[in-house]
Parts: sequence; C-alpha cells; structure tokens
Amino acid sequence: MSSSAAVRVLGVGTALPPHYADQETLIAAFRAHWSKQHFNIERLEELHRAVQVGGRYLALPVEEYERLERFSERNGVWIRVAQELGEQAIRVAADRAGIGLGDVDHLFFVTVTGIATPSVDALLMNRLRLRPDVKRTPIFGLGCVAGAAGLARAADYVRGFPGENAVLVSVELCSLTFQREDLSIANIIASGLFGDGAAALMVSSDDRRRAGPRVVATRSVFYPGTERMMGWDLVDTGFKVVLSSKVPDVVRAHVRHDVDAFLGEHGLDRSRIRHWVAHTGGPKVLRAFEETLELPPSALERSWRSLRETGNLSSASVLFVLDELLRSGEPGAGDYGLLAAMGPGFCSELVLLQW
Amino acid sequence: MVTSADVIEEMKRIAERELELAGTIAADAQLVRDLGLDSLGLTVLAVGLENRFRVRLQEEDAEGIVTAGDLALLVVRRVREQGGA
Repeated sequence: MSSSAAVRVLGVGTALPPHYADQETLIAAFRAHWSKQHFNIERLEELHRAVQVGGRYLALPVEEYERLERFSERNGVWIRVAQELGEQAIRVAADRAGIGLGDVDHLFFVTVTGIATPSVDALLMNRLRLRPDVKRTPIFGLGCVAGAAGLARAADYVRGFPGENAVLVSVELCSLTFQREDLSIANIIASGLFGDGAAALMVSSDDRRRAGPRVVATRSVFYPGTERMMGWDLVDTGFKVVLSSKVPDVVRAHVRHDVDAFLGEHGLDRSRIRHWVAHTGGPKVLRAFEETLELPPSALERSWRSLRETGNLSSASVLFVLDELLRSGEPGAGDYGLLAAMGPGFCSELVLLQW
Repeated sequence: MVTSADVIEEMKRIAERELELAGTIAADAQLVRDLGLDSLGLTVLAVGLENRFRVRLQEEDAEGIVTAGDLALLVVRRVREQGGA
C-alpha cells in the first residue's frame, strides 16, 4: 500500500433543508398520533427528549407531512429534495476542494432513505453537467455506516486510478421514511432521533493536490449473526424501522478491539489519534464509544454538537462531523484522525486519516 | 378488580408480541437478569402495561422493582390509586 498513490480528502460540503423544527414543536406534532394508542404520552415525550436532539431540519414543513399517505408520495418528495440537497452539497465540496466539476471522474451516491431509478447520481449528472464518461456507483442499504464506507470505497477507487478525483455524496431524508401508523417504541425513538441532510466530499489521488488529510488506510468489520440489530422491514407503506437497543452493547463488545487491531497494523495506538470523527448514532452509542475507547472528555464534542443541532443524519452524519473538523483549522501537519461509523449488517467502517 | 395474575398475563402477552420473548413469566422472574430486558425492553413493557391498565408509572416507581411480581404489584396499586383499567 505504501507504494500506491496518496489519496486525500480535499474538501467536504454539507447541505440542510430549510425547514427547521425544534424538538418541542415536533413532540407537539406527534402527540395526537401517539394518543391514538398510548396512554402515558408524557413517557413518550421523555423518550424524544432523552435522545438529546435539539431539533431537526426537515425536507418539508412539519404540517405537510400529514398529507403524505403513501410510500409513492413520500418517495416522490424524496427524489425531488435529494437532488436539490445533493447538488448543493457537491457544489460546496467541489468549491472547498478547488476542483472543477469537469474534473470529477467518479460519483458515489449513498442513501438508505429513498429509492430511484435512474438513481439520484444519474439525476445529479444532469443537474451538475458532469462529463458523460463519469463512472457512477449508487449504494443503497449500508445505512449509517455508508458515510464512512462510502469514503473508504471512494478512496479505494482513486487509489486504483492514480490522478483521478471522486466525489461521494450522501443524502438522507429520514423524515420521509417515518411510518405514522407504527406506534412501536422503536419507531417513536427513531422519529425523535433522525433528521434530514446531505453531505459530499472530494477524494483525489492527483499528486498535484496536497491540501486535506491523507486517507492512510480503511477497515471494514462485519459482525456475523447481527442482522436484526438495525435496518428496515419493507412494508406496504415503505420502510419500517428495525432498531435494537443492543447497538451500544455491540459498540462495547467490539469497537475497542477493532480500533486497536486496525491502529496496531499501522504502528499506532489510540493515544496517537488526535481527532476522533464518530458517527452521531445517539447518546447511548456515543457514550459507549467514549467509554470503551477511554477517550478524553471532549474528544467527541463535535459529534455531540452535531447530534444536538441536526439529529442523526444516518450516513451523512459522520461527514458533517468531518466537515466541522476540517473547517476548525485544528488539525496540524502529521496529526492522525480516526473516522468511524457503524450500521446495518451489523458492521463498522474505520478510516485512518493523517494531516 | 385487577390482580397480579392479570398483570403478569399481560406482561407475557407484551413479551411475546413486542419483545419476541415467548414462554411463561414467573412472578419471581427478575426482569433484567432472567428475562434479559434492557432499557428499551423495560420501556416497551411499561408502555404496554400503561396502555392496557390505563395507569401512569413514574420514574421513581422503578426503584425496588426487580421481579415481574414486583412490577405486577405496582401496577395493581396504581390501578387502585389512579382508577385505571
């Protein structure tokens, strides 16, 4: 690997939809639905507050969700808004990377919140007027891990094609997957935790481009027999959430070993990692991550803040946190960073960065 | 009048239907140790009991609740106090 082309993250861009609703507004909107089946509404309100999300940016104004009855209606909105946010995020990422859109060689698109054929990357080809010979890779189903895994796969690609540039774009409109009639506790928690947003990043193995952290190595880890940990059940009305409370247990059982083994292969240990970029799974997942890795108190501050400000944006979240880190100007030459996410499978993806 | 046996029967139904836990629940079964309930499982159970018996269980009620029987007695007491079920 040392002889192959250096791969760098040149720039990250994010985009949020314009319709912000704070958590109390959303709780008020949900209350009437909850009361159809549940007696103690205050308990459900507490579940929404316990996820430590201050509010969400939504694809539509809150009141417009009421009229979305069918999956086809929700997915139709998803296709429209996914293009808008995807385009915004890519334009910002390209601008920050100093790469013209005509220099993009490969477009990776990740999502788990809607479907389209032609896929949204094809729609973005037209909106962004990308070259007709751009290679496209739409990836559906990796869920929350797809920001990290998408970065890793884009890095793999440009490593194999020295001199090329790839863009990864993640668009997740979790609010459009919400199943109003599913009054299970898992769905109520999910409806309090997940938000909408898009993020894009540029990776390149063009030696002339020296800005941004180098992708030193990546690691995928699959956990056999954990299929029901997280995911969707496909039902007539769309995507019904599968969310196990055992996710923090998986973090505690595996992440320390996986991180240590990965870093060890590169002659590193946790004390050498200056910058931690963790997916904002939720308060319990972040706490498990902090505890099992024995991180200093402020190591995941950007993840906590992102969770408070936007909620869990599935695959886009880890890219929002990376964007914050890059724009902070904090990383110095030689610093190591570890970007980490987990998602359906169940699995982890680790990306070792060096500035 | 709601009895502990009624509540335990309902717990069994909730466990089967919503927690994928089949089988009988003994009054002395510990919720966490024996039934393997975590925080989400305990919440699902509490919400199910609140819905069925029309009572509110408070955070402070959790103290001292270890077994299925403890929880059943609490629900019976709350039904009496709050006029639920």
